[in-house]
Amino acid sequence: MLRFILRRLLMAVPTLVIMAVSVFVLIRLIPGDPASLMLGDLANEATLAEARARLGLDRSLPEQFAIWFGNVLQGDLGRSITSGQAVLPLVLQRFWVSAQIVLAAVLLASLVAVPAGMIAAWRQNSATDLALVGTATLLLSIPTFWLGLLLLLFFGLKLGWFPVVGYVHLSEDPGAALLYMVMPVATLFLHEIGVLIRMARASTLEVLRLDYITHARAKGLSEGAVLWRHAFRNAFGPTWTLIGLVLGNLLGGIAIVETVFTIPGLGRLLVDAIFGRDYPVVQGCLLFVAFVYVMVNLVIDLLYPVFDPRVTAE
Amino acid sequence: MKIGHALWLGLGLLASGPVAAQSVTVALKADIRGTNPGVNRDDDTDAVALHMVEGLVAYREGGTVGPLLAEKVDLSGDGRTYTFRLRRGVKFHNGADMTSADVVWSWNRFMDPKTEWRCLSEFDGRGAVKVEAVEAPDPHTVTMRIDKPNALFLDSLARTDCGMAAVLHKDSLNPDGSWKAPVGTGPFKFGEWKRGQEVILTRFDGYVSPPGDKRDGFTGQKKALVPEVRFLVVPDSSTVKAGLEAGRIDIAEIVDSDIPELEKSKNVKVLLGSTGGRHAVIFQTTDPVFKSAKMRQAIAAALDINQIVEVAASGRVKPNNSTIHSRSPYYSAVQARGVTYDPARAKQLLAEAGYKGERIKITTNNRKTAPSFNIAVVIQAMLQQVGVPADIDVVEWATHMDRFLKGNYQIMVHSYSSRFDPALSFEHFTGPKRSQPRKVWDNPEVQQLLEKAAAASDEAARQKMFDELHTRMLDEMPLIILFNQLDAWATSARVEGFTPNEGRARAWGVSVRN
Repeated sequence: MLRFILRRLLMAVPTLVIMAVSVFVLIRLIPGDPASLMLGDLANEATLAEARARLGLDRSLPEQFAIWFGNVLQGDLGRSITSGQAVLPLVLQRFWVSAQIVLAAVLLASLVAVPAGMIAAWRQNSATDLALVGTATLLLSIPTFWLGLLLLLFFGLKLGWFPVVGYVHLSEDPGAALLYMVMPVATLFLHEIGVLIRMARASTLEVLRLDYITHARAKGLSEGAVLWRHAFRNAFGPTWTLIGLVLGNLLGGIAIVETVFTIPGLGRLLVDAIFGRDYPVVQGCLLFVAFVYVMVNLVIDLLYPVFDPRVTAE
Repeated sequence: MKIGHALWLGLGLLASGPVAAQSVTVALKADIRGTNPGVNRDDDTDAVALHMVEGLVAYREGGTVGPLLAEKVDLSGDGRTYTFRLRRGVKFHNGADMTSADVVWSWNRFMDPKTEWRCLSEFDGRGAVKVEAVEAPDPHTVTMRIDKPNALFLDSLARTDCGMAAVLHKDSLNPDGSWKAPVGTGPFKFGEWKRGQEVILTRFDGYVSPPGDKRDGFTGQKKALVPEVRFLVVPDSSTVKAGLEAGRIDIAEIVDSDIPELEKSKNVKVLLGSTGGRHAVIFQTTDPVFKSAKMRQAIAAALDINQIVEVAASGRVKPNNSTIHSRSPYYSAVQARGVTYDPARAKQLLAEAGYKGERIKITTNNRKTAPSFNIAVVIQAMLQQVGVPADIDVVEWATHMDRFLKGNYQIMVHSYSSRFDPALSFEHFTGPKRSQPRKVWDNPEVQQLLEKAAAASDEAARQKMFDELHTRMLDEMPLIILFNQLDAWATSARVEGFTPNEGRARAWGVSVRN
């Protein structure tokens, strides 16, 4: 098990290095630089040259990369050009904000979507199946920004149940923080159950067609026992993998949801950094996101044998 | 059901907890970049900082410069020494008296390259002026001597992007000299900055306002009427709208497309004005197609500017082909002259320019805060009508700025930010392209005339020169200035006393009804 973890972590190293080089080069290939954005059209050429020199943008690309990557190896992701903050604490702080929302939404979505998908498969082609699949497809088709705005306008503005703007950290006021989290979590939850119901249904359908399920039924087991005791564990495998992918994707940033609900999360930090050509923040965010993606999928793979004993972590 | 309602009501009360009854919430489009005035800034950062700090002089409404921390400013006979008599009794947020020693200390700090003041090159001789000496002959007087007479000196000191060359107390710095937080003389004190979320300022009860019974730009009556201002980061315009309707946002700049809907709302008041920002069509005069003035005049004659304003600003501002804002004292009858829509003449000028039907490219950007894209679409249609096929190249803002600074375009729909003095306003686009590729109007004679206008202090002489510059601009047509930026704001119904000011929120003089 330990060797498997070490091997996976070592395999992640080239991924992260390739990621670091790609991000560094790609962000600089886009026209525009932070100095000109910072100074706008009021700056004269002397000020612009001064700002570029101060930010190290007058050095050659290999030189800039060597400095940045050397610092990264020592755990220093640099400082934000726009705010002057150290990138690593900034990324971690914003990640925690996003992670609370993502973890809550994915956990709730999994708890609802997996049983719902299995029921849809069990009642294939019935009205229940049609209703569940129809709902899942509808939820999947609604863009999150529009769903978020609908929730905001209805529950926030019309009913006044939830605050429409602002954010409170859990550490400041847990009660208020939960209230601020309801609509963003609901938006992600509604979108993700669409994805997960379809996967849970498809994988359950596949399992229900296998001989050992026919055998279980032939033994006279109740449908409930067949479904939960025999079908569930095998059918859950692909959905578990999908949950890992969803989690990895969402933890990388939920910029749209964060923008609509004014949440200071990682996604908004990244998008703002890209528009502001804040190179150290873009590089730091994406490197961190890649790391999180690798780690989440490693954890998912390590837990896979719990659901499917045929798979081992060796 | 009743229990459910009670639960929601309880949660609702809980959620409303963080907003104090008397605080005013102002929406910001993005988080501020810092609290160090004139160093790492953008418009929102300036707006927040200028609630806390003040300079010797400041812009009035209409863009003229008036005293702020100074009571009076005298200019010596040779036009090189400015004497600032400071207002008595002004205190810093830490309770200390503001004296001439603080002015000198603040100035020396700004002029130290380590401060990274963005306006350093404007005052150290690399720009139009060099400040040779700053002295404090007594605790209430400061003198500043410059190398040669320059009519723009006070204007440069008042610039909001330069942080108004704010007078700060030494307590603004950490013991190691690094920046801590602003300890200024403004009507509000720094409270807390929750990065990515909000900036909280509290009223400075020891504030001494300049004289006057009403606000006047960044000077005039500046008393704070509310105990707290929260600058809340709300990047999405739909969320701003919902926040205004719900009463969670009190003051916000709004996008043009939201005006009609918000005007109908009972919970929201909409306030419209215009800023000194200028929307313009700029030509790359080195481009083979546009190097001919006749070609540029043909494009100008093809544009129905009234219709462009109607589409791009819902007709809420007036066309203005001058770089000088109509509120400026320099906006004369000559400045009011503009381009005339005449498609027949446009076709004639195209023929005279030897235009052979080349496809042209209009570069613009997709910023929500400026109507550049809409302007480009209307222009494309108008050019089509006179037989000029055009494509629109839409880029995001950073790319737009890169192309603008490098002069990498054929025609560009660009928005110039506000510059108040006409000489600075003309300077925005006038100059040698070889050393400054962002400049549009490259004509040495015009450059000389502009330099004379910048140095002159006689208003009548300046007026004459600005009028000549405007006439020449219409003749050579290096760019077509279309109209001034619409300044669109909305407040919740409980807010009283707010008026827009050059696209920046002012929380002083604003009160709220409970």
